[in-house]
Amino acid sequence: MNSNLIWLVFTPLIGSAIAAILYNYKFLDRLITFSTFAITLFLVFGTHVGQTYSMNLNFMGRMIPLSWNVTHLSIFMLYISIVFGTILTFYSLMDRSRMKGFLLLLILAANNWIFTTNDMVGFFFAWELMGWASIVSVLGGRKERKSRHAALYYALMSIGGSYSMFFGLFTLWRLTGSFSISSNLAYLSSIVGVHPWWVLGIVSLFFVTFMIKAGIFPFHTWVPMAYAYAPDTFTPFLSAVMSKYGIYGMLLFLPISLMEKGMPTVFGLPWVNYIFVWIGVITAVLGTVLAFFQDDVKKLFAYSSLSNLGYIVAAISLFTSVGVTAGIYHAFNHLLFKGALFITLAAVISRSGTSKLSEMGGLWKKMPVTFFTFFIGIASAAGIPPFNGFGSKWLIYQSMIKQHLLFATILLFLASTGAFLYLFKAFHSIFLGQLSHNYDNVKEVPVIGQIVEYLLMFAMIFFGIQPGYILRPVGLIVKSVGLNPLAVMGNGYVTGMFSNVDMPLIGWSLAISFVFGFILFFISAKHKYVSQEDNYTAGQIPQDWGLTPETYQFSWKFYEPMEKLFAPFYRIKIDGFFRGLGDWTRITGSAVKQVFVGNAQIYTLFAVVGLIILVIAGWVA
Amino acid sequence: MSEWKELADYFRGRSMWMLHYCTGCGAIELPPTMTSRWDMERFGVVPMATPRQADILLITGYLSIKSLKRVVYTYEQMSAPKWVLGFGSCTINGGIYWDSYSVIKRLDKYIPVDLYIAGCMPRPEAILDSFVKLRELIKKGEAKGYEKYVKNFEWYKANQDKVFRRTTPVLKKPEEVTKSA
Amino acid sequence: MMFFLKLIQSIGVGALSISVGLLFMGIGRKITARIHRRYGPPAIQNFIDVFKLFSKNSISHGFAYDLGIIAGTSALLAAVVFLPVGQINLFPANSSLIMILYLMTMAYLGMAMGVSSSGNPNATIGISRALTMMMGYKVPFAAVIFSVYIFARTGSLTNIIAAQSGGLLNWNMIRLPFGFIAAEIALQGMLGEKPFDMAIAPAEIASGPMVEMSGKYLGFGMLQHAVGIFLETGIMVNLFMGGAPNVWIFVIKQFELFFIALLVNAILPRFRVEEGVSFMWKIPLLLGVIQALIVVL
Repeated sequence: MNSNLIWLVFTPLIGSAIAAILYNYKFLDRLITFSTFAITLFLVFGTHVGQTYSMNLNFMGRMIPLSWNVTHLSIFMLYISIVFGTILTFYSLMDRSRMKGFLLLLILAANNWIFTTNDMVGFFFAWELMGWASIVSVLGGRKERKSRHAALYYALMSIGGSYSMFFGLFTLWRLTGSFSISSNLAYLSSIVGVHPWWVLGIVSLFFVTFMIKAGIFPFHTWVPMAYAYAPDTFTPFLSAVMSKYGIYGMLLFLPISLMEKGMPTVFGLPWVNYIFVWIGVITAVLGTVLAFFQDDVKKLFAYSSLSNLGYIVAAISLFTSVGVTAGIYHAFNHLLFKGALFITLAAVISRSGTSKLSEMGGLWKKMPVTFFTFFIGIASAAGIPPFNGFGSKWLIYQSMIKQHLLFATILLFLASTGAFLYLFKAFHSIFLGQLSHNYDNVKEVPVIGQIVEYLLMFAMIFFGIQPGYILRPVGLIVKSVGLNPLAVMGNGYVTGMFSNVDMPLIGWSLAISFVFGFILFFISAKHKYVSQEDNYTAGQIPQDWGLTPETYQFSWKFYEPMEKLFAPFYRIKIDGFFRGLGDWTRITGSAVKQVFVGNAQIYTLFAVVGLIILVIAGWVA
Repeated sequence: MSEWKELADYFRGRSMWMLHYCTGCGAIELPPTMTSRWDMERFGVVPMATPRQADILLITGYLSIKSLKRVVYTYEQMSAPKWVLGFGSCTINGGIYWDSYSVIKRLDKYIPVDLYIAGCMPRPEAILDSFVKLRELIKKGEAKGYEKYVKNFEWYKANQDKVFRRTTPVLKKPEEVTKSA
Repeated sequence: MMFFLKLIQSIGVGALSISVGLLFMGIGRKITARIHRRYGPPAIQNFIDVFKLFSKNSISHGFAYDLGIIAGTSALLAAVVFLPVGQINLFPANSSLIMILYLMTMAYLGMAMGVSSSGNPNATIGISRALTMMMGYKVPFAAVIFSVYIFARTGSLTNIIAAQSGGLLNWNMIRLPFGFIAAEIALQGMLGEKPFDMAIAPAEIASGPMVEMSGKYLGFGMLQHAVGIFLETGIMVNLFMGGAPNVWIFVIKQFELFFIALLVNAILPRFRVEEGVSFMWKIPLLLGVIQALIVVL
């Protein structure tokens, strides 16, 4: 019995109440949010694997058993989410966006509950709390109308997910009479050999919810909208932490290995897993291809998140030791670099006042710290060693090749190369190129923001060079789900199945070659710095020509050849299906509404007809 | 240090990257110079795309005042050490444009020319010969036009401004034109 | 002690890659000239060019420009030490091919950052074309390397070489012929030779990425190209030609591959970008996929 688990949920709730009272004093709201995150972090330090707690909640005379159980996975997720949340809320102390601290604390409460709970009622409640708090958080972005629309869309998808989970939950309850997650999972894996289709049906009900939350194809349509129009400081949390709830849920259900128990297999994988691998791959490619052509920078990175989650799903669906390791490791890496990228984007947007790529440019001279954070962020996201992000991508390829999933691997590689393309597009359009005179007065973010950026830069380099600090806990998780963990040779090694990568060695190699590069640079002939106006213009004098920095900046239609290549695929729109569904609902709804005109006679008619039906039914029965 | 400079000059003489400013009729002599018949690449001379990359600015023939403006801008964008080759008699004394109001007569008054190639037209052999001559001049340390330009910057600027003033339109506004008509 | 030994060896490999790359470029110019029926420059012309460039003054557009262009060369030099070169294999336990490929990406990122921070749209258009083309050739190349992975049951270059030991017939070139052809076409794109040299089209976009580079920056660019040639042909030699017993044979094998690329370069015009990419996704990818199917099934 460890009652500190319940405090993990209650502390943020109390903090949220206080923050909500002080909501009008923005700084106090943020300060309370930050300190509650910090306190929760201290509470997590006192949480250990194997701690349990249970209580009965008296709900209208019915006892609802609530229980908590800390596993390796939950402690890992708790740590990464709360540490990132603390950093983010520290950053938000100086921020001007309209993120509401108390809602973030509600999400934190739900976060801790989801990761530690062992009963489905608690899981469902926490899931709903998280969902609704995040939906309300999406409101209040810079563009009022668009964020309202995004929140509505997100809410509709979430409701769909909730129904699905609710249905699955009560189906399980009818079957086992218990709400406990672990016993229900044990029940499912015991009957999987006898009724594989039943298990599949129930599990897929849950998976729909998780896929919606993680934004996996074909439920990805809410992701770009919600990410792009949420408040700028809330988007990092949305992308880095909240997309991982779906992954967590999938990892809970995946151990019902459908593998050996009578299901047909493809390439040594049960076909359900095989389908999920392909769903992941499609998500990865789709996110990449759509990210090429975005002009809104947050939308671009939303598609990038989509793509990375595709990687994670593809890896964990394999359910091999390398696959799960790579998936969880990539989840961590994605949290780190995408969090860092979205935080730098928040900094850039707050300073420049726009999120359009075609309106920015040349900001590196004005915001050097942000520039370097962004640079390391995209290097990580592109999977360049020795930054973080490489190890997990490398392991994902290996896990796929191990299963001989060659085409999926090729497509993932395509997505990774494409990632480099869109990342560079964003990098160039924000930071490189010509600085417009509109941004002459732009300053670097305040000191708090810079501290956060230095911290994130350090983290991205540190966890890149010392992957062992993450791979060891991931190994424990892999062991706890019943697979062989990968051997961790040392803190600096990523150990694959085909070969090892010694990250510090790469770091050394780069450092030494950079030293040589700089020596060569400084001993050779002099260079002088020129302004951006002094540029090659084919001999034409810029002033005579009426040339401005905006017209000499290349950021519109950045990958036009690609656009031509992918033009046939644009006509296919998943969004259209959901829109069609929405239209259909509206039409049906209005048809139903036709019946309920405000006429008493009609209602009387209904009553009479109903009574007659009732009488006939009773008579027949 | 002087040995180092000599070595650098040796390499500079053997790798001259050329930007050719081709407004004059002399440009037609360059394709045969570059290609199979005369092959200037064997002297280490390669055509370049931008002034940033180039060592030699080759002015092929006459320069109108407007194009002189571009030439000066291009020349100033090049990095030292840089050399100018004046090609054809137009760059020496105006050639057949000696009495034109819009064409400059002596290129040397506006940017420092290291070597002239006389003739109208000079043949590709003459161009190749000029490369070899320039190589010798660089080796001897005599081709120092870029230093001359820095030293006498005011003089060159004054000369340039004197002719550039002529490029400003006489009638400022279109309304004035209609009025005078 | 071990550290210093490795350090000195690594510097040796770096110097070797630079000199071999520059020599290849010089010989390449000579051979192209002979195809054009010209005399051509001396084979060491590129050494002369590099020395000249480093002794020439230059302009810069700021710190990001400097850093990016240094990163372009340095990251490739950092990658080249992991490449097994003949009998020199400095880090046999750490020669994962994908790691080398991703480390090379660092060089592209650095170069792209440097030239784009100059603020010249020609440079950025060149980079955008180069990246689009990269998307084109990386896909068939990925198909080939993953086929080799599955075929050799290993991902480390050292082990791939070891798996090909024992004569010509064991070379992947013979065993995986479709893959070799696909990779050879991809190599053409990787080296940036015609018909895939749209990134540095001098007449359209003023030599693209190089537009604002002068003096030592251009020198760094040339070194990067030299190391790139060495690294890319070296990977191909290790993947398909069974490595080499010593450095000389290794360089000769590299030259064979480079020679083919040169001949193609000398006689073909240039693709448009989207044509280049769709060509890469048609013929080489088809060959790569056929090879992959043969390997997997």
